[in-house]
Amino acid sequence: MRILSYIQLYFRLVSAGIRAQMQYRFAFIMRIVGMLTAYAGTATTMWVVLYRFDALGQWNYYEMLFLFALAIVSWGFCIILFFHYISLDTYIVNGTFDRFLVRPINPFFHFMSMRFDVASFGQFIFSIVVFLWVSVALSIDWRLSKLLFLLASIVGGVLIQGGMLVMISALAFWTTKSNWFYWVVMFPARNLNNYPLSIYPKVVQWIAAFVVPFGFVNYFPATVILDKTPVGFPAYIGYFSPLVGLIFFTIAYAIWMLGLRRYKSAGS
Amino acid sequence: MAIIEVEHIRKEFKIAKRETGIAGALKSIFNRKFTIKEAVQDISFTIEKGEMVGYIGPNGAGKSTTIKILTGILVPTSGKVLVNGIVPYENRQQNAKNIGVVFGQRTQLWWDLPTIESFELLKEIYQVSDKRYKENMDTFTEILGLDEFINTPVRQLSLGQRMRADIAASLLHDPEILYLDEPTIGLDVVAKEKMRQFIQEINRIRQVTVILTTHDMEDIEKLCKRMILIDHGQKVYDGAIDTVKNRFGKMRTLVVDVEENGKDLVLSGGELIRVEGNRKWIRFNRDEISASQLIAQITSTHNITDLTVEEPTIESIISRIYQEGLSEEAPVSVH
Repeated sequence: MRILSYIQLYFRLVSAGIRAQMQYRFAFIMRIVGMLTAYAGTATTMWVVLYRFDALGQWNYYEMLFLFALAIVSWGFCIILFFHYISLDTYIVNGTFDRFLVRPINPFFHFMSMRFDVASFGQFIFSIVVFLWVSVALSIDWRLSKLLFLLASIVGGVLIQGGMLVMISALAFWTTKSNWFYWVVMFPARNLNNYPLSIYPKVVQWIAAFVVPFGFVNYFPATVILDKTPVGFPAYIGYFSPLVGLIFFTIAYAIWMLGLRRYKSAGS
Repeated sequence: MAIIEVEHIRKEFKIAKRETGIAGALKSIFNRKFTIKEAVQDISFTIEKGEMVGYIGPNGAGKSTTIKILTGILVPTSGKVLVNGIVPYENRQQNAKNIGVVFGQRTQLWWDLPTIESFELLKEIYQVSDKRYKENMDTFTEILGLDEFINTPVRQLSLGQRMRADIAASLLHDPEILYLDEPTIGLDVVAKEKMRQFIQEINRIRQVTVILTTHDMEDIEKLCKRMILIDHGQKVYDGAIDTVKNRFGKMRTLVVDVEENGKDLVLSGGELIRVEGNRKWIRFNRDEISASQLIAQITSTHNITDLTVEEPTIESIISRIYQEGLSEEAPVSVH
């Protein structure tokens, strides 16, 4: 199938998924509201912490809020596209995954397009509001190049976090139960990202830069946009965010396809 | 020309041994032991274009594993498969264009959406042309009666309706082969009968090759001329259904509860095969003696308090084939 028809098919499948979710209107609205309040809660906690300390490392309140907004905007996009992957183990256990294997399209793509988490638009809107607010407060000069870099690093962040979700889901091909891994890896990593990487021990910083590249989701690109120094790292490191995302996601995809091969030979 | 060729396929599964109790569960986390289960051991067969073949066996015989290999979901441990000239597990997506699959227990439709939307999505997935889609939908609406529920969400369909929708969905892209895995499971008698008619009709008007797994003997009798019987991953019989039906299909078992009165049960034309207290199992050939004749014999000496007549199950046919043997080759032409 050609790329163009894949894109077309993606939108068809996704819109079907949205309509399916709308069938449960109350749950749908509650999810959006829930997301909004959860993030507002996190922002409040941060405000309380910073109210006492005024700043954390060399980061003041608004800069931290920027960091936070950058993290959730890419996470927002990421869960729209990839959150569905953490339920792969349920599909495998129930035997419903086989359906993706008897159709003439790429199963990774097919699985991805089965669900489109519209509810996360709540946090998407929230993050836009925060962005605007912080931009004014910090009087960020949004030149075109800066804006383009922002977009590119959001894409990078989506790919890094999406890649992580994809890798976690791929575990299901080996262990059949992988859902718990999300809470062990993804949850702490995302909480880590709420604060500047420079406040953590060196080991954590290195891991977040070179092993599980969560530093490239928001911290490194934020140092570029806000003209700050990423202590202990070269100043240009933030520019690598989109590339890191691309590489990381490619690896994740390869692992997923490897898992699929193992599933086909081992069964469930 | 054979559309499906299966040569000596084997499929092994590694199964983690589970130990009982909490201590056992903890132990198995650190020291897992595996057993190898051979779900399919050396099965071969060929199927001709347009044939309708029953692939049957008891639960766990390896039916679904074979179907999964034929559809490309699983790779066999060894052996060779060609479906329409394609190795399904190597060219899975290519193979998918030629086949339709219905898993009776799981729908392939979009659960929360009106039924028609699933058809429209599948049209996109299989890239069916507008013209062909319309023609097919017209045909299916006519023979499957889709219009009565086309706008109802799939989750609200009755099981019978859902199966009809699933079959239509699997045929939208004009596949040459249709795999039906337990298409009548859970259906009531009327719905089962209807479903069989649909399958027959589709095979007739489309020349679709149908492979049907089931453990309902009646499905096979009504639909197929040929059956492949498997048990414990091995082929027990492959040939005309009539051979089996004539040999074993006429056997019935009369189960009676009688009041004991010290007298022996005198039977001619029936064979007492099991006794449990007052309950007795008597096997007889329907062509040689009728159930009522047999009952008359019994009532001449005993009072019957309860009775049932059992039809042969696949399990009983298999055990009889083991006991008495049956030639592998079909004595009559299958096609």
